[in-house]
Amino acid sequence: MRTWRDVARYHLVVPWAPLLIPWAILTCSFVINLVIFALAPTHHHNVMTSHGLVSVADATGGYTGGVASIYVLFLVIGASIIGRSLPFALALGVSRRSYYAGSAALGAAMAVADGLVLAALQAVERSTDGWGVHMHFFQVPYVLAGPWYLTWLTSSVALALLFVYGMWFGIVYRRWNLIGAAAFTVAQLTLVLAAVLLVASTNAWSGVGHFFTGLTAAGLTGLLAGMAALLLAGGHATIRRATV
Amino acid sequence: MIPAISVAGLTRRYRDHVALDQVSLEVEAGSIVGLLGRNGAGKTTLLRILTGQEFPSSGAVLVHGARPTENAAVLRRMVFVREDQTYPDFKVRHALLVASWFYPHWNAELADALLADFGLPAGRAVKKLSRGMRSALGIVIGLAARAEVTIFDEPYAGLDAVARQIFYDRLLADYAEQPRTILLSTHLIDEAAGLLERVIVMDRGRIVLTADADDLRGVATAVSGPVLAVDEFTAGRVVWDRRRVASRVSVVVVGGLDEADRLRAGSLHLDLTPLTLQQLVVQAATQPADAFERTSA
Repeated sequence: MRTWRDVARYHLVVPWAPLLIPWAILTCSFVINLVIFALAPTHHHNVMTSHGLVSVADATGGYTGGVASIYVLFLVIGASIIGRSLPFALALGVSRRSYYAGSAALGAAMAVADGLVLAALQAVERSTDGWGVHMHFFQVPYVLAGPWYLTWLTSSVALALLFVYGMWFGIVYRRWNLIGAAAFTVAQLTLVLAAVLLVASTNAWSGVGHFFTGLTAAGLTGLLAGMAALLLAGGHATIRRATV
Repeated sequence: MIPAISVAGLTRRYRDHVALDQVSLEVEAGSIVGLLGRNGAGKTTLLRILTGQEFPSSGAVLVHGARPTENAAVLRRMVFVREDQTYPDFKVRHALLVASWFYPHWNAELADALLADFGLPAGRAVKKLSRGMRSALGIVIGLAARAEVTIFDEPYAGLDAVARQIFYDRLLADYAEQPRTILLSTHLIDEAAGLLERVIVMDRGRIVLTADADDLRGVATAVSGPVLAVDEFTAGRVVWDRRRVASRVSVVVVGGLDEADRLRAGSLHLDLTPLTLQQLVVQAATQPADAFERTSA
């Protein structure tokens, strides 16, 4: 455990870089969206009432999807820190297992902390009527639309999932370079294609549809957590074979 | 006593060549051992396997009696300084700080003193260091770590003679203060010869010679003089290398020479020059694989 902690500190030794970069990008995205929403006319639609036709501000507001940027950044950071720092860690007598565990623990801690911040920002967004401009930046229909603790949970799990996925890519790239990363991508696409063909050949589309429409946000979170665990195991099996 | 490093029948095969071919060796705890050999002899591959960075194709490797591969208890007692070490994007002081976390016996004073000795700027980004400065950083980490098994692989590429002397002096001084097992691979053999207690010579993936450094002094002698006199003197002896210039010839004779031999050489007007460690390694690396076995038989 001590070594895990030291590995996590090792990733953060250039002060705060992996911690702050996602928020820097997210802030840029947020500000751009805020400016657009402030300049653009509010979404109005006409409603026939007993007083005649009146214009009413659209209560649903506009969804930006801008929060996705932090998820992408988690993928990028997971991929970039793992391979770049591996050779020096091994030179200092750290085992691959400890290195991987420490790196994953850092990702998990970042995911939980940042998920909480996202949930808090979502609460602010709700209480300020979308930052005063009806902007839904931190709210995403269906996925991030529940109570704060569910937003926290779902965000954390999704961030951790992308971090772990990024780590796996980073390890493959470290070991087998661009060709390996390309082959890794092709293998995943093949897997998806096989799944699609399987569903199509068994005429199971309606079953799949029912599965996803019946899935609650909490159920989806569980599904993401399961995927994260699979990716974590895959990355571990890969780093065990990595040489520097 | 359990040897610090014990390797038996180690082979590492890559697709089209054999980097290590049935390598067996032992390194006693608390000694400074030189790993010598030409480029491509397999030195770096051997050291990478010892430190768990690379995996063997077959054979056994034990460090302090246990397999090092993914063995945290063994690995944390080792440090590996490589010529081609890659670092993350950070500064010299970050590299030292990180290294200090992983070694309980980290000597910060020594690290500071070495930084000053080498003129290494702590605030400089590692990727902006010159080749020599980058080597110096590796040396600082390797010495200050005070790891029980310290492995240097060509640690001083690009370092000037003064800096190399600093390395030798500091290494010996710190070794005296805290004995440990030091394995040093190098091309600059005669320069390092003074600090090596044992030498292991590799060639084309095999160990061709393992000996105490002291035993090697005087093990081979260059005999030069007129062709007939040299031939008379060397008759019946194992001879390695023969160079002829006009009517003179120079021959390397293997095996110690006694006082009678020296007197005889003197009366034949022959020059006797003991081979330096470096010349010996060059000979070892250019002879058939069993040359040394034949001499010891």
